[in-house]
Amino acid sequence: MVIPSSLKNCFQLFYVLKISAAGFKYTANRGLILQSVSSDVYQNLAVEDWIHDNMNLENRQVLFLWRNSPTVVIGRHQNPWQECNLKIMRKKNIKLARRRSGGGTVYHDLGNINFTFFTSKKKYERMENLKLVVRALKGLRPQLDVRATDRYDLLLDGNFKISGTAAKLGRTVAYHHCTLLCSADRFILSSVLKSPYKGIKSNATPSMPALVKNLFEEDPTLTCEMVMDAVAAEYARCHQIDHRITLINPADEIVFPGINNKTKELQTWEWIYGKTPKFSISTCFNMVYEQSLLEVKVDIHVKHGRIEVCNIDLPEQWLPPAMCNELEKNLIGSKFCPSETTALASALLRICPQNYELHSKWSLLCENVMTLM
Amino acid sequence: MAALRALRRLGASLAPRCPGRCGPLISPRAGWPQAASTRSLGTSALLFSARKFTDKHEWISVENGIGTVGISNFAQEALGDIVYCSLPEIGTKLNKQDEFGALESVKAASELYSPLTGEVTEINATLADNPGLVNKSCYEDGWLIKMTVDNPSELNELMNEDAYEKFIKSIED
Repeated sequence: MVIPSSLKNCFQLFYVLKISAAGFKYTANRGLILQSVSSDVYQNLAVEDWIHDNMNLENRQVLFLWRNSPTVVIGRHQNPWQECNLKIMRKKNIKLARRRSGGGTVYHDLGNINFTFFTSKKKYERMENLKLVVRALKGLRPQLDVRATDRYDLLLDGNFKISGTAAKLGRTVAYHHCTLLCSADRFILSSVLKSPYKGIKSNATPSMPALVKNLFEEDPTLTCEMVMDAVAAEYARCHQIDHRITLINPADEIVFPGINNKTKELQTWEWIYGKTPKFSISTCFNMVYEQSLLEVKVDIHVKHGRIEVCNIDLPEQWLPPAMCNELEKNLIGSKFCPSETTALASALLRICPQNYELHSKWSLLCENVMTLM
Repeated sequence: MAALRALRRLGASLAPRCPGRCGPLISPRAGWPQAASTRSLGTSALLFSARKFTDKHEWISVENGIGTVGISNFAQEALGDIVYCSLPEIGTKLNKQDEFGALESVKAASELYSPLTGEVTEINATLADNPGLVNKSCYEDGWLIKMTVDNPSELNELMNEDAYEKFIKSIED
């Protein structure tokens, strides 16, 4: 891998990007291979947005290589409550990101490589890109049995998914990105990609669960750098361009004017949770209070991530109906998230009479409602 | 309002028979240009328009001043099985070529672009449970949104069916 000094790279990219923005046809740069120095998912997704929005790709193709610290990435039209275990993710500090492409939920960590293939909409061809990755892998280790399926997955040994695909088609530009599980933490992967939430009704795009495997379980002598370099080399060969990987810093406003705003937008609650297609949760749970078991039925409708309808059905006389109504009334319009509910519940408690029994019942109920979020 | 609606209905029923002459009947509608005075654009075009196409493969047909928007058969075939339709809220104001939603098919999200300037008046709610309608019936039951036509002259910039067919041939070659 040829990596010139990063400063030189920045200037070079700046030069390349500048002329692209000016609409020049710079034939010497028909292809670019970029690699992010960041492992922050929001920054890396912002690079995709930036290239999609700003680069003229009519006569140029771009390959972008990136890896992230532990993150769950959901598809554009997915429901995070349906797709992953947000509680475990909060506890383990695993980020949640929503990408702009379609498809299902995936887990990323530094043992997973992401490849983004940018082209004009005309030249968008996912199968060609996947075949390119397969050729690169076979070039490294001819004995590997890796194949692309008609769902654009890559299977190892005919059974195990090692790569998933998603794409976005814009006005004139398209991109296809795919993952490649090399040495990701499979234990965490399977624990975070399992939703504990019951009773969700939604039209959001569902993920298709698959048996996964890491490529390096098949061949432990491989490294992520070798794989990235092999894919870059194959890309360079196919597009007859220089096999040079340009390192980029996604926080660099000089190279990518406006990129930090894109990063910020991808981090907002409104994008990550608020873009969830409308859904409802109808479920019941049991609470133990002073050695008696109570059944609570809950019906919550959520639109743009905010509670639109809220019905909490408690055993009669357990809590004054006015208090339960107050909770329902306050939840409506608030974000479907535990921190907002905690703040709301404690604010409500403050205006309640100082009554220990009521307080403990109230807290118990709120705690249980929050486990749905 | 009722009177206006009646006028509009009258205008609508008259339009095909007297293009260009029944303009004054509908001119009180706020926001509409004085269509009657622009000869090149008959009022009938404003009230009724056969399906017109954008180069991004959306279509629009106009009836009673409201445009119905969908995607072309070429587009639905290219996309494959549509599994989710992301559509705007009613009341969203769109400029021509604004992004107004996205269709998801086989792991790809394809942006939708508004063919005209106007305000969203209706969305096809049946697509929430049945997004596949866009594949099955892209010109009828699988329509996406309805919108006002704030700038009728924009319709002239779109392709008619023949021009669109030729356009598709040109990109397929």
